[in-house]
Amino acid sequence: MTDIQTPPGAAPEKSGVGSWLRRNVLHRRQEAPSPISADTVTVKEAPQDKSASDAAPPRVVEFRNVSKTYDDGYTAIQDITFHVDDLPGKGEFITLLGPSGCGKSTILRLIAGLSPQHPATSGQVLVGGLPVEGPGADRGMVFQDYIAFDNRSVLDNVAFGLECQGMPRAERYERAREVIQQVGLDVARDQYKYPHQLSGGMRQRVAIAGTLILKPKIILMDEPFGALDPATRYRMQDLIVSLWRELEATVFFVTHSVEEAVYLGDRTMIFSPGPGRLLQQLEVPPPDRPAKTMQREPAFLEVVFAIKDMVEKLEPSPSSGRG
Amino acid sequence: MIRSTRSIFALRAAPSPIIGRLIGFVSVAALVLVWYLVTLGAPESRIVSPAILPTPVEVGQRLLSLITGGADSEGGTLFLHIAASLRRVISGFALAFFVGVPLGILAGCSGPVRAALAPHALFLRNIPLAALIPLTMVTFGIDEQQKTMFIFIAVAPFLMGDALVAILRVPDKYIETAQTRGASTWQIISKVLIPLAMPAIYSSMRTLFGLAVGYIMLAELVNADLGLGHMLLVGQRRSDLPTIFAALVAIATLAYLVDRGLAFLQGKIFPYRPAED
Repeated sequence: MTDIQTPPGAAPEKSGVGSWLRRNVLHRRQEAPSPISADTVTVKEAPQDKSASDAAPPRVVEFRNVSKTYDDGYTAIQDITFHVDDLPGKGEFITLLGPSGCGKSTILRLIAGLSPQHPATSGQVLVGGLPVEGPGADRGMVFQDYIAFDNRSVLDNVAFGLECQGMPRAERYERAREVIQQVGLDVARDQYKYPHQLSGGMRQRVAIAGTLILKPKIILMDEPFGALDPATRYRMQDLIVSLWRELEATVFFVTHSVEEAVYLGDRTMIFSPGPGRLLQQLEVPPPDRPAKTMQREPAFLEVVFAIKDMVEKLEPSPSSGRG
Repeated sequence: MIRSTRSIFALRAAPSPIIGRLIGFVSVAALVLVWYLVTLGAPESRIVSPAILPTPVEVGQRLLSLITGGADSEGGTLFLHIAASLRRVISGFALAFFVGVPLGILAGCSGPVRAALAPHALFLRNIPLAALIPLTMVTFGIDEQQKTMFIFIAVAPFLMGDALVAILRVPDKYIETAQTRGASTWQIISKVLIPLAMPAIYSSMRTLFGLAVGYIMLAELVNADLGLGHMLLVGQRRSDLPTIFAALVAIATLAYLVDRGLAFLQGKIFPYRPAED
């Protein structure tokens, strides 16, 4: 994000996010604009997979023609192919967008290595160039229903991963307090509280802290803010943006909200349901202003509406999209 | 306050603790009053014959003499009976706990173990309680060991089943969260599954302990010189109705106090998940 010039402010005229997209994103990688461009706003198609073999550094995540069909015959995702490159010094923020049943969570859980989605029925799921064998601490996961262990205080919840590694108590508590601070909780006030004493937003902060403390290379977030009220949601979006800038991790973020996907993402993947297919990958403007401000700007909304239109247009005929 | 204007007759409304207790007290008092009225007057003119129902005053006096000692031969022995019954329940229950709960946790964690234990558990759970008396007498004699084993066999299969269910009911997402934070299988069992299942296991223990206090009376009808069941038997043999009723009141009170005590402990042991009543 640092190599990109600061976009103009909330100017309501043509110099908003839409034109910023044209000026900066479209030509950043010297690729022709995609033929699928929406009517009003040009949103560039992200680079597609070419020959994967000659890529020098291993990719952070790579899907090669991945399908998942369950024992009962239901196909969750079909022929998904994409990759995420290892950007030195920073990770990409990828948002996954689409209606229920389009396989967004399946993709997240395949990366995490969680059953029954893992293993894939066909195709390859590679993380750091190696096939995923099962879950591990290098791929942290945050769920929608803010999972915090009921029997553990905030401190012990956050320190759980380090406890499993056998780190001595004093040391892991010290680290945990730092992260608790980072996610915006008050260490003095909250560290000895139990999850049932916390609000939903606070519990989600605990869950995020428990993941961050392990410094994973990949963070998987499955609609983490879906159950929060709008005001809390904006605050959590701002939190995620600021944390992610420090973290240099690749984030996969599933959401139902186009606004959230466009705001948070560097790249948005759009999926269609039944069976889940990857319709489109779009580069979207980065979040460089507070969530509440930026998501009200006309230029931002222009992009959101363009994507909503695009999703609507693409959905009825999945075969016309990319498989 | 909105609550104060809400009728206590509102659908599914819970009365305040004080009102609730008051209603409970009035309800018990009404029952005792009816009891008093139907046993009022000279023995011949009562609505219910003294051969069926003693007066509340008689029962109260007998209870008092059982507690403090008095003229009759059983005076002052109530606490000895209670202690004897509780000792048997606790020894059998402890055995059931140390066998049933680990087996249940093991079965909850492992599918093959679960499949192997299922038929045995089904069989043991379906042995009629009454059949356990002759069964345990054949194997364990008629002394204390038999009474312990009776409680053990009656309780252990249920304790195992409830521990199994408690483990299975911990939502998958807790396991998955632990996995994505690098926990090993053993760490998931010891740091996630067991602690999260414990409150449910404890609740089930609370219920089963209450039932076991009731079950022990059955075993005490045979060859016991102390115990609440023995007290009931003696009362029946002597046609001593006040003693039988006093024993029943003592049993109900004991069950209530034990349950309250266990509920109190629940709040202490699991502060993060308060007891549900």
